[in-house]
Amino acid sequence: MHSPRRLLTITALAVATLLPSGCGPSGTPAPESAAAGSGPAKVRTIGVAFETLQTEYWVAGFEAIKAELQRRNLGMLEAVADSDSSRQLQQVRNFITRKVDGILLVPKDARTCIPAIKAANEAGIPIVLFNRPAADTPGVTSTAVVADNRKLTRETVEFLVGQARKSGRRHQAMVIVGDLADINAIGRKEGFYDAVKGQESVVQVVAEVPSEWNQEKARAGVVNALQAHPEISLIFASSDFLFPPVIAALKSAGRYHKAGEPGHVILGGFDGDATAYQMLVDGYLDATGVQDVYFEAEQSVQALMDQLDKKATPPLILDPGFVIHQGNLAEKKSRMWGANAVRR
Amino acid sequence: MKPVLQHSAVLRLLHQAPLLLFAVVLLGFGALSPAFLTVANGVNILVQTASTGILAVGMTFVLLTAGVDLSVGSILFVSAAVGGKLLLSGWPLAGTLPVMVAIGAALGALNAVFITRFAIMAFVVTLATRYFGRGLGLRITETRAMNLPEGMYQLGAAHWLGVPLPVWVFALVGLLAHGVLTRTAFGRHVYAVGADPEAARKAGLYPERVIFAVFVICGGCAAVAGIVTLSQAPAVSPGLGNNREFMAIAAAVLGGTSLFGGRGAVLPGTVLGALLIQTIENGLNILNVNPYLYPIVTSGVILLAVLLDAARCRVLAEAGRRRIFVES
Repeated sequence: MHSPRRLLTITALAVATLLPSGCGPSGTPAPESAAAGSGPAKVRTIGVAFETLQTEYWVAGFEAIKAELQRRNLGMLEAVADSDSSRQLQQVRNFITRKVDGILLVPKDARTCIPAIKAANEAGIPIVLFNRPAADTPGVTSTAVVADNRKLTRETVEFLVGQARKSGRRHQAMVIVGDLADINAIGRKEGFYDAVKGQESVVQVVAEVPSEWNQEKARAGVVNALQAHPEISLIFASSDFLFPPVIAALKSAGRYHKAGEPGHVILGGFDGDATAYQMLVDGYLDATGVQDVYFEAEQSVQALMDQLDKKATPPLILDPGFVIHQGNLAEKKSRMWGANAVRR
Repeated sequence: MKPVLQHSAVLRLLHQAPLLLFAVVLLGFGALSPAFLTVANGVNILVQTASTGILAVGMTFVLLTAGVDLSVGSILFVSAAVGGKLLLSGWPLAGTLPVMVAIGAALGALNAVFITRFAIMAFVVTLATRYFGRGLGLRITETRAMNLPEGMYQLGAAHWLGVPLPVWVFALVGLLAHGVLTRTAFGRHVYAVGADPEAARKAGLYPERVIFAVFVICGGCAAVAGIVTLSQAPAVSPGLGNNREFMAIAAAVLGGTSLFGGRGAVLPGTVLGALLIQTIENGLNILNVNPYLYPIVTSGVILLAVLLDAARCRVLAEAGRRRIFVES
C-alpha cells in the first residue's frame, strides 16, 4: 500500500515543481527550438528568458523577439520562469552551460536579476534586459531596452489634460495605479503626476486607486471611487488591460459614452493592447501610450549583436513609444501591437 | 464562582470578536467619510464581496475537514476560460454557465480522487492542481485577454427586487451552505471528520466520502465565484483568479474557521470575514488612502482578528482545565 502512495506523492510533487515553468521548456530547452538552420557557418544562438507570459504584452514581446531573431537567422533557446526569480537564475545558468552566444532576459524585478547578470558577466556572455532595467550595481554590466514609462505616460496624460481644457470646465480625475512593486507601474504613476502638476485649474486628482494589476481590484476601486466622487470625468488606467473593469464600472454608473457625446468620461491608458485599439476605433478611448514592442525587440537583438562584435552599447536604450489617439490612429496603428493582434 | 463568571463574560465578548471588529471598521470609516455609510455603498460592498465570499464558503467546507484547497483560484480561471471560449463561439449564456460549474466540480473531484483514493496530502494535491489549472487556462486562452459578450455584463448588472443579482447568488450560496452544515447529517459528518477522523470512522462514518464531497463543493463554488467575477468585469485575463485562494482562506479564518478542522461556520463566520476584508478595501478607496497603506491596514486587521480568535481559544482551554488546589 505504501509504495504506490509514495510514488504518487513524489509524482505530485514533481508536477508541482515542474509545471510552474509555464510555456516552453525552462532550463532544458527543446532541441528543435535551438540552432535553427545548419551549414558551415556557425549559427549564433540566443537564450531568451521571460519572467512570465501571463499578459498580452509579454506574449507580443516574445513573438516580436522570435520574429527578430528569425529575421537575422539566429537560433533561439527559450525559457519562462513563471514569476520565480530563482528559477530564472537556474534557466540563465542552463543557457550558460549550453554555451549560448547571448542572453535576452525579461527579469521579474530590478534586483533579483542581479545574480543572473553576474553569472552571464562571469561567463563572458553578453546579456540584454528587455523592458525592465536592473538596479545600479557596482561590477555588474548589462544593457536594458525599456519603454520610458514616465515620459510616455506624461505625454499621454498631457493629451488628456488638453482634451479636458477644451471642454472649458474643471475635471475631477482618477488614476488607477499598477503593482507598487513594479518599477514600470511606479514610472507611470510618476508620469501621471508630472502631467497634472500645475494643472489644478483644469484637472483635480480626487482618487488614486490601487489595482495590483488585478482586474477585480480595479473594478471595485473604480466603483468605490465613483461612489465617493460622482463628478469624476477623467480616468487614467496605468495599463490598457484594466479597461474591461473600467468599462463595466462606467456602464453600471451610466457614464460610458463616446468622445464628443454628452457625459463622456475622458479615458486614457498605457500599453497599446487590442482592447485599447478597439476602444479607439469605437470612439470611447481618448488616448493611450503605446510601448513600441517592435522597436524594443529590434534594439534588444541589435545590442546583443553589437556586444558580440565587441562594440560598446549604452546601459540604457529608451523606447520613446508614442501616444495614439483619434487624430493619428490611421497613421500610427501599424506600430500598435494591439492593432496587429486584432488583425491576427 | 467569580472567575467562572469572568471567564464567561470574556468568552461572550471574544465569541463576538469578528462582529465587533466589523462594527468598529464600519463606524470608523463612517466617521471619516460621509460617502461610506450609505445604502448605495452598502450594496457596493455586498456586490464586491460576492465572488470572494462564494469562494470562501467553498473553502470553509474543506477547512472544516482539516484540509486546504490551494487550487480554487486556478479552478476559477479554467472554468472562466472555458466559459469565455464557449460564449465567444456563440454558445448561449444559459448553456455555458452549467458547463462552467461542472468543470469546477470536476476539478474538485480530481483533487478528491488523489486525496481520498491515494491518501496524498490535500496541500500537495491542490498545489499541483493549482499549477496544472493555471497552465491549462493559459493554454485555453493562449495568454490573451478575452473580452466577453454584452450578455455577461448584463448578468452582473441585473437586479431582482432592487438587489443586484451577484448579491442574490452570494446569499443563496451562503444560506444553502449554512443549511447543509447546520441542519443535515452530512453537515454533522463534516464537523465530525474535521474534529477527529478516526473517531468519526469508529462511529460508522466514511471520512473519505465526506472529504470527496467537500472538495467537489469547493470546486463548484470556485466556478460560481468565477461566474460572478466575470459578470462584474466581463473579461478573462491571463491572471484571473491568481492568488485568490489566500483571500478565501483569510476570509474563512477571519470568520472563526479553524485551520485544524472541526470548528467554524459559514453564517455569520465566513460571510462576515469576507465582508470585513472587502469593507476595509472599500473604505480605503473611499478615503483615497495612499495605495502603499492598503496591505498594511488590511493585514493589520486580519492579524488583530486572528489574535482575538487565539485569545478566545486560550480562554476556552483555560475554562475547561481541571483545577487542583493543595490544601494546607
